[in-house]
Amino acid sequence: MGFAAFSSNHQSLYRLDPRTKILLTVLVGIVMMGGSIHGPSAIPRALLALAPFGLLLAERKYRQGLLYLFVLLLSVGVESYLVTRTQGALNLILVIVSSLFTRFVPGLMMGYYLVSTTRISELIAALEKMHMPRQIVIPFAVMMRFFPTVIEENNAVREAMRMRGLRLSGGNVSAYLEYMLIPMMMCTVKIGEELSAAALTRGLGRPGARTSLCDIKLRGLDALLITISLLAFALWIVL
Amino acid sequence: MINLQNVTFTYENADTASGLSDVSLCIPDGQAILLCGESGCGKTTLTRLINGLIPHYYAGKLSGEVLVQGEAVSNLALHQLAQTVGSVFQNPRSQFFNVDTTSELAFACENMGLPPAEIRERIQNTAQAIHLHALLDRDIFALSGGQKQKIACGSVSTLEPLIYVLDEPSSNLDHASIRDLRAMIAHWKAQGRTVVIAEHRLHYLYGIVDRVCYLQDGRLTHDMAADDFFSLSAEARQRMGLRTLSIEALLEQGVPSPTVPGLAPYRLDRFDFAYPHCPKALDIPLLHLPAESIVAITGLNGAGKTTFARCLCGLEKRCAGVICRDGTCQRCRDRNRSCFMVMQDINHQLFTESVLDEVLLSMDQEDVPAAEQILDSLDLLMVKDAHPMSLSGGQKQRVAIATAIASNRTLIVLDEPTSGLDYRHMQQVASLLQSLAQKGRTLLVITHDPELIVSCCTHVMPMEGGRATDPYPLDKAGLTRMISFFTAIGT
Repeated sequence: MGFAAFSSNHQSLYRLDPRTKILLTVLVGIVMMGGSIHGPSAIPRALLALAPFGLLLAERKYRQGLLYLFVLLLSVGVESYLVTRTQGALNLILVIVSSLFTRFVPGLMMGYYLVSTTRISELIAALEKMHMPRQIVIPFAVMMRFFPTVIEENNAVREAMRMRGLRLSGGNVSAYLEYMLIPMMMCTVKIGEELSAAALTRGLGRPGARTSLCDIKLRGLDALLITISLLAFALWIVL
Repeated sequence: MINLQNVTFTYENADTASGLSDVSLCIPDGQAILLCGESGCGKTTLTRLINGLIPHYYAGKLSGEVLVQGEAVSNLALHQLAQTVGSVFQNPRSQFFNVDTTSELAFACENMGLPPAEIRERIQNTAQAIHLHALLDRDIFALSGGQKQKIACGSVSTLEPLIYVLDEPSSNLDHASIRDLRAMIAHWKAQGRTVVIAEHRLHYLYGIVDRVCYLQDGRLTHDMAADDFFSLSAEARQRMGLRTLSIEALLEQGVPSPTVPGLAPYRLDRFDFAYPHCPKALDIPLLHLPAESIVAITGLNGAGKTTFARCLCGLEKRCAGVICRDGTCQRCRDRNRSCFMVMQDINHQLFTESVLDEVLLSMDQEDVPAAEQILDSLDLLMVKDAHPMSLSGGQKQRVAIATAIASNRTLIVLDEPTSGLDYRHMQQVASLLQSLAQKGRTLLVITHDPELIVSCCTHVMPMEGGRATDPYPLDKAGLTRMISFFTAIGT
């Protein structure tokens, strides 16, 4: 998974408002958690489960989209077909794995879509339009900023470990994790401290309204998606 | 106008950065001033007093008064100061808040609540003035250190502050990026802004700063005109623990005549490598590296230096290169056992709870007396039970080198071992490398630091566009050639 999509040089067919993306993520997360793959409630669930697939395709993330569809169909297939035909430990494993997958993977994919297609400044602007308090907006933005940093730091530490001949083998799992986590934590804390200092000297803590270069507006497509997903949500509650 | 009156400051948890004692300094509008001195002299602290991070972010005991444009810094909030004082910091990786460049340039203006149309105009003006157009709308994580630092300067510039404060801005830059940095400072100066720069690397500031302040143990001991400062003799500035005042002056310093032991060189075959969807980052069909010597690898960012080192140390599995010497050849995966790389960011490379453990971890067979001997030779024995993360930057670096020695590998690559080091620590690294070479290790040093090369290297291997030729010895002719590389694009 690359976060290069943070930059704007990727071509997306549609630009959704971050608020739409957030709403969809929340709804997909909730709806997929409950209900069953049989009966009438399966219809709104299926509809929302396909949302990440369509959105990823629209962002030209074909590989991720198709992979998601494959995993989803596979786990639905297992849940509806294999689970009733197996017994014992195998059945237990299949039940746990397939139901975990059908319930969590759609929400995770929506999260990935949200994070990889939204710029931090867009997200801040959208959250402020939703009148979220600063105490929520800033930590949220910092978290987004930290995903790629953590990946970068993690890669650097893992290479340093390889250089030192520290490998994962048999009994030393806890030692391996310790070696990996200590420099990671030290570095992210240091970066976090320097980052806060830099942001504060650039006026981040200023009370009062912020402006934004990003043109955040709910458009026709947003309205359509919001209506469909809310209808599906309502249907799921009623059924 | 910046006015410090009898300022004394001690950090609350005084571990790394040191405080100031009784500093008085007045900087008139439009002056460009350089703060210099050895590591820990308090120059960073001084910049933090001006941009308000002290007392608003870093806690400690402060007495005396700091006035910026006539107002006490302690009475202003950081966001109020942000409109007057713009800050650029040392680490390019940790001073941007957004992940794309244009948002970062807009960030400070957005925080101030300026109307979007005006922000757009300011970004255009800044991009025009400091040549940022090629960097607009890019992923910041994909930029080089020099490009990141340029964006940092730009993002400060859009707010058009009266005062610019820069804390070791050149530490991680190559000499082409340093030239850009110099142009940026010149631009601000031409606009009549006040510029305060704390630096170790001094030569690029010649002809651009008006005044130089030298700090020692938190005290302001010299306050001189730039002309007087830059005509200091080599002995005087070395005594003050300062880096070279001009690259050309290194020519006169001369080089320790390299004694080339008539050893068979390492033979490197087919070192080429490309990152996915990119043109070749490395393209070296054949190369000879002199054994038991110190080879400086020079070249601009993106010349393939780090890629070469990574292939050499077996970190890039897809590199087909083979190293041969004395009839034995090693492919990529075998080289994990014979090559070691000390990476630029030391903090990624220390894993254990004590310095001694760190060395033992690198040994095939744990051998405490041998480990202590290594630590002793690096002046680290007295901190052997300390936590590696609690050490100073120079000590951490020596611990990393100690692990390289303990690993018993013959080829050691160091990536920028002297970035951000003062004269004394640079000399320490230089003599350490020399003693390693004498003990039969072969060292490759990736560096942008001509002073380090002059101090210890025996050969220079220039790289450009992923290509390299056999290293040339650093004799008299080699010295001239090396210096002219650094001055051609440099200042």
